[in-house]
Amino acid sequence: MGTISKIHEMLTSKQVSCKELTESYLRGIESDNTALNAYVCVTGDEALKTAEAVDKKIAAGESIGLLEGVPMALKDNMSTKGVLTTCCSKILTGYKPIYDAAVWELLKAQNAVMLGKTNMDEFAMGSSCETSYFGGAANPVDIDHVAGGSSGGSASAVGGNLAAYTLGSDTGGSIRQPASFCGVVGLKPTYGAVSRYGLIAYGSSLDQIGPITKSVEDAALVFDAIAKPDKRDSTSLGAKEDTYSKLDNDIKGLKIGIAREYIDGVRDDVKEAVLAAAKVYESLGAEIVYFDLPVLKFALPVYYIIACAEASSNLGRYDGIRYGYKTAHYNGTHDMICRTRSEGFGEEVKRRILLGTYVLSAGYYDAYYKKATDLRGTIIRAFNNAFENCDVILAPTVPMTAFEKGHAVSDPIETYLTDICTVPVNIAGLPGVSVPCGFNAKGMPIGMQLIGKSFGEATILNAAYKYQQAAPEKFKDTKWGVKL
Amino acid sequence: MVTREDVENIALLSKLFVPEEELDGLTKSMQEIIDFADAIAAAPASDGGFDNINNLSNVFREDEVVPSYPSEEILKNAPEQAEDHFLVRNRE
Repeated sequence: MGTISKIHEMLTSKQVSCKELTESYLRGIESDNTALNAYVCVTGDEALKTAEAVDKKIAAGESIGLLEGVPMALKDNMSTKGVLTTCCSKILTGYKPIYDAAVWELLKAQNAVMLGKTNMDEFAMGSSCETSYFGGAANPVDIDHVAGGSSGGSASAVGGNLAAYTLGSDTGGSIRQPASFCGVVGLKPTYGAVSRYGLIAYGSSLDQIGPITKSVEDAALVFDAIAKPDKRDSTSLGAKEDTYSKLDNDIKGLKIGIAREYIDGVRDDVKEAVLAAAKVYESLGAEIVYFDLPVLKFALPVYYIIACAEASSNLGRYDGIRYGYKTAHYNGTHDMICRTRSEGFGEEVKRRILLGTYVLSAGYYDAYYKKATDLRGTIIRAFNNAFENCDVILAPTVPMTAFEKGHAVSDPIETYLTDICTVPVNIAGLPGVSVPCGFNAKGMPIGMQLIGKSFGEATILNAAYKYQQAAPEKFKDTKWGVKL
Repeated sequence: MVTREDVENIALLSKLFVPEEELDGLTKSMQEIIDFADAIAAAPASDGGFDNINNLSNVFREDEVVPSYPSEEILKNAPEQAEDHFLVRNRE
């Protein structure tokens, strides 16, 4: 598998030059992206330029960092100076940011080789990647299935070996759900751990950027690199501690909690896989404790009310004046803005803007928005109580495996229900990592989620790593892309 | 109960046009989502409310002028510009 540490070793031992490696990824994208649709923009020239600079350092005998020269990609909602950043929406057609997102600044400074920008649901609103203006990304395990969403392209690229790692963003499960569907690792950090500067906003109190990788070690490495405080995001705090150095800590005596509400109602194959993982943990010396978290039944409506309310405000900036798409014919400024927005936004984005405006409007604010934010406090306190009796919570990532293409588009509510296990983590601002833990009868991956206390990334990644070591057969490669 | 008039009013506030032929479908879809959101009405009363995730408190700083981006850079993405400004024509 083309993990970061393997690539680093290949580069430093001069088995391959960074230029050759980058060229092989670019060839992989050229041959397989038609099927996977993971990338919406490929930046080959820039990638090769960085690769050559890394090769020069290696040739001069300089040491290189672990992420240096490693081919990767960014979700298309992260600002990249001079490189198209469209959120996979018609309304941002042609938009090239004039600054870099904080995460890209950090990785660029380490000579990360960016191959391009990855596909996503329009403005990160969706669970299948199919609301993308460019069409959905395919699941590399079986291309008749969706990659998941909203960071579908980021998960598809990693699962399809078209990048060693990618960054995704997670507002209600958008890193963990596609990671689960594609059989890769996806970490949603604690709210505030990673700067959101330059991340095009959806739900600002829920959004977090995190890595999608082939292994738990890679997720830890990338997280450590991007979790830095940043003055330009007033909610940013950085990570509390390094995670990579703590991966191999003993987990004997670790208390792993399972909330019955997370397990009830998920499909049998998913439930069996997660409970089998709990058995693996017991064999490693961890203790499993069951508990109830009844407030979880309100998490999904609370999430949709808060996320849509914030989205309706955040997306007010698209007016056809400063950037992106502008309607061709209009009469007056109001008409121009309305036409631009109506033609530029897709159906799901418009639906969420309308819902958000509805729950914030006079007469409905108290019943919906205020009630939802109150309940958010209740959910946070319920998690805090739960963590008095356990160190980590184990749950399914998604109640089902990847669905076939076209299935999600038909019923918005049914699609929203796929987020039921992931949204509580965003509501409470907690860290959660999705790790492959099995396959269904058709061979589609099943993911489990390890949820930690606030800023407890080191604990959940340590537990995830121990599982990966005990059950390496759950981490399977696909036939696509670059083979190292 | 979400009515056609509600959707028209919300659309106006959202600066979106909803074509007449989509209005009934959208009203129905909005009603379904609102019914789904109504589940929270059954939730217990507030046990303390919510302020922000990490209990952050506001930090004040001096209001100092710092360099920003040159206006010609910012204007590069504008659909139309003139004389160092965004250009908004009244009709097109």
